[in-house]
Amino acid sequence: MATGVDQAVGMGLVLFSLALFSYYSVWVVVLPFMDGDHMLQQYFLPREYSVILPGIAAVVLLLMIGAFTAAVVWMNHKPKKVD
Amino acid sequence: MLQGSYVINPRRAELALRKAVWRPLKTIKSRVSLPQQVVGRRRGGTPHSLSLTTTTMTKLMQWLFGASLLGGLWALVSFDLLDLNLPHTYREVAWPMPLYLLVSFGCFSLATVGYRVATFNDCDAAAEELQEQIREAREDLRRRGLKV
Repeated sequence: MATGVDQAVGMGLVLFSLALFSYYSVWVVVLPFMDGDHMLQQYFLPREYSVILPGIAAVVLLLMIGAFTAAVVWMNHKPKKVD
Repeated sequence: MLQGSYVINPRRAELALRKAVWRPLKTIKSRVSLPQQVVGRRRGGTPHSLSLTTTTMTKLMQWLFGASLLGGLWALVSFDLLDLNLPHTYREVAWPMPLYLLVSFGCFSLATVGYRVATFNDCDAAAEELQEQIREAREDLRRRGLKV
């Protein structure tokens, strides 16, 4: 079994993704069936954000991947010697 | 002693690689039964018009077919293409469905990665032993004159 930091990070990832999944599920699937003045509605943003926020997250993720790739390629690029 | 020595059989490795990687998705065919109008002939030569034959459809085509079916169903419900006038709440739930499935798939993969990281099988004793053997080997080579 992995110990220490590995276990903490792994379990943290699991709990985070579980929390994110349940929050997003309630937001998208459950909330339209509730009344407008239900007590639960106050914990959630307006419904448009349920589409905009994952879109922004996807764009940020792609930017990070692109930046990482560019950094790695730039680091490994050895300039050829010109005689 | 290390837990066993691994000798890779190159021929078996190549076969496994070929099976897993060199046959891309689009060339794996599977039998799909679709009835087709075929003009066949009975033994005497008299033709009969309809018989059931099987066609092969690639896996890519099957996936695209399923995906377009589900996509069509989603478009039907969320944009009201057939004027079915479903209740407003059902349309509001159905509309972000592709994004919701994508987010839940991302959550599932994140959870799987986290779980595998947490339950990874560390072999501390084997790692220590390996380091010790590396040190021994280095000493041995240094004694014999190799610059390490």
